Amino acid sequence: MIQVSNLVKRYGDLIALDHFNLEVKKGEIFGLLGPNGSGKTTAINCMLSLLKYSKGSVSLFGEPMTPEHYRNKRRIGVVMQNVAVFNELTVVENIDYFCGLYVPDKKRRRALLDEAIEFTGLGEFRKFLPKKLSGGLLRRLNIACGIAHKPELIFLDEPTVAVDPQSRNHILEGIRELNRGGATIVYTSHYMEEVEQLCSRIMIMDKGKSVAIGTKEDLKAMIRAGEKLTVEVYGLSGAALDEIKAIDGLVQTEYDGHTLTARCASEIHRLGAVLDVLTRRQIAFGSVFSEPPTLNDVFLEITGKDLKD
Amino acid sequence: MFWNIYSKRVLCGLREKESMFWTWIFPLLLSTMFFFTFTSLDTVGQLRAFPLGVVDDAAYHRDAAFRSALESVSGEDGLFELTAFGDAADADAALVKGEIEGYILAGEPPALIVTGDDINQTIAKGFLDRYLQTRNSVALILASNPGAVNDLPALLQWADYTKEISLAQNPPSNRISYFYALLAMVCLYGGFQGLITVVYLQANLSPLGARRTVAPLGNWGAAVCDLLGGLTVHLTGVIVVVAYIVFVLGTDFGSKLWLVLLTCLAGSLLGVAFGAMIAAMSKFKEQVKIAILITFCMVCSFLSGLMVQGVNYIVAEHAAMISWLNPAARIADSFYCLYYYDTYDRYLLNLGIILAMTVVFFTAASLFLRRQRYESI
Ligand SMILES: Nc1ncnc2c1ncn2[C@@H]1O[C@H](COP(=O)(O)OP(=O)(O)OP(=O)(O)O)[C@@H](O)[C@H]1O
Ligand SMILES: [Mg+2]
Repeated sequence: MIQVSNLVKRYGDLIALDHFNLEVKKGEIFGLLGPNGSGKTTAINCMLSLLKYSKGSVSLFGEPMTPEHYRNKRRIGVVMQNVAVFNELTVVENIDYFCGLYVPDKKRRRALLDEAIEFTGLGEFRKFLPKKLSGGLLRRLNIACGIAHKPELIFLDEPTVAVDPQSRNHILEGIRELNRGGATIVYTSHYMEEVEQLCSRIMIMDKGKSVAIGTKEDLKAMIRAGEKLTVEVYGLSGAALDEIKAIDGLVQTEYDGHTLTARCASEIHRLGAVLDVLTRRQIAFGSVFSEPPTLNDVFLEITGKDLKD
Repeated sequence: MFWNIYSKRVLCGLREKESMFWTWIFPLLLSTMFFFTFTSLDTVGQLRAFPLGVVDDAAYHRDAAFRSALESVSGEDGLFELTAFGDAADADAALVKGEIEGYILAGEPPALIVTGDDINQTIAKGFLDRYLQTRNSVALILASNPGAVNDLPALLQWADYTKEISLAQNPPSNRISYFYALLAMVCLYGGFQGLITVVYLQANLSPLGARRTVAPLGNWGAAVCDLLGGLTVHLTGVIVVVAYIVFVLGTDFGSKLWLVLLTCLAGSLLGVAFGAMIAAMSKFKEQVKIAILITFCMVCSFLSGLMVQGVNYIVAEHAAMISWLNPAARIADSFYCLYYYDTYDRYLLNLGIILAMTVVFFTAASLFLRRQRYESI
């Protein structure tokens, strides 16, 4: 459905996309995850033929994408990162306008319009002007305008930025529903939880490059780090700590006087062994956590940076 | 599809506050202000013939020169509506009743009796002073050079005096040219619609533009619909202003109202084209572009005589090129031609210049609009 190869995009001296490759198959929810400035928006804009690029090729629906490829454009829905609606038009008028750019037939459009409103939960706000809408509702309107015409391929560029949790869940659920309805989705975000929950395949981007790609399980398996153990414990002796550090499969163990953190190697579980040592040595411990690795851990390990901020 | 774009564009335009202010509210306020300024000037204008009394006594009969001078400036087109009274008491009575603004008592020198000192009385006094001054000069000239008697008629140009006074009363030509300049300004404010249209069309100028660029729209079809929508909004405003000036304020635009409207259409197209060019040319923020547009309109309007009467003539005389290339001046001049000239030569020349400028601006705008992929967004 999407085939991008060796895309290079420069803004002056800055290389925003550096030999970027991407393949998205029909029916996927594909996540582009990366910190601010990693090139997610640039990648999407290049795919849509909005931006010039110096090298590489983009094909959508099996055909090279150009600005005049209206047949392709008709099958695509885009929700831009920046809210783009007419301030002087009401919710209904806005959706009708953008839907009308794709669907000339009035009757069909009315049905689609109602569906989009239902879908985004904007029913109570049909006659509202955008400036009267809260941030979350405005985002929902932005989404409704992008998807009302039932596109086969949808690009969503950080649709949930600055949205309250309730609206966010509503939006995520909506995206799943679009996907169930047959749409292929490209979703960008720098919220890893969101991407993890939603996407069937994920690409992690940094500095205009893909650093890792796969399902979330693939990605987590890719790194050395696995489960993260946290144990609240006081007065851990040096000998005990050494014994724990010696447990096979623990890659990174630290103690700061009240919390013991240990990282297991990928796909290995060692909580039992750690607790065994403590029990055997009759050391009392408080709360115990065991967390599976997150995409942040993946990112951290690959790039040496934190994904968050 | 096209109706969708067009109708929503009209809706947007009518709800957009800033351009509404400049194309509707501002001209309506300005024309109302002009109207009241001119109405007060007009009360001055009405003195052209005001009732003045003269005591028809022996002294008046004797002073034939004075009598003929006074009579020559009286009547329909003169300064006074002269009424003769038998004696001073009758004239006094009429003055008290307000039937006359004052009266003249012949003698040596002749005297003016008035009650107030508004502009009419000043005129009467001016006449009397001028008469006395002229008479003294004549006496002096004749005393030193009796041969100069042949030149006397030139010295006694009373008719000119009347004309001069009435000219000072803001003849319709001057007064209406304010409205012409005002209407020209309104036409140029069509630039708002052109500007907004282009900003919302271009992916690199606004998120809305980006969203529309990813839609399956041919570049030109959508642009033309949009511009037509903008033009519709603008012309609605122009028609409201014209109707207000003509029907509510009662300003006479002459008999060729249809041609006036045609001129408005041409002028508006020019404005829209200019706004489109400004928007397409640069990557400034929308607000900056609007500021440029307003400044441009104001400067053109100033040079066409909107703020200070007569600037247009000065520019036309000393910098003819600027005057010919000033869209506001051309539009205003077109209205002027329609009002004053029976032939259409100059009008058509103006119209031609306006249309040529429109074409130039639109062409420039479209050259910038033609690229379809952007270097950056
Ligand atoms: N118009 C532009 N001119 C110059 N540089 C730009 C422009 N747009 C983006 N960039 C730069 O290109 C890089 C990639 O930006 P891009 O917007 O694609 O990142 P992003 O991953 O979408 O970030 P975010 O999460 O903040 O949306 C950044 O370093 C950014 O500063
Ligand atoms: Mg972005």
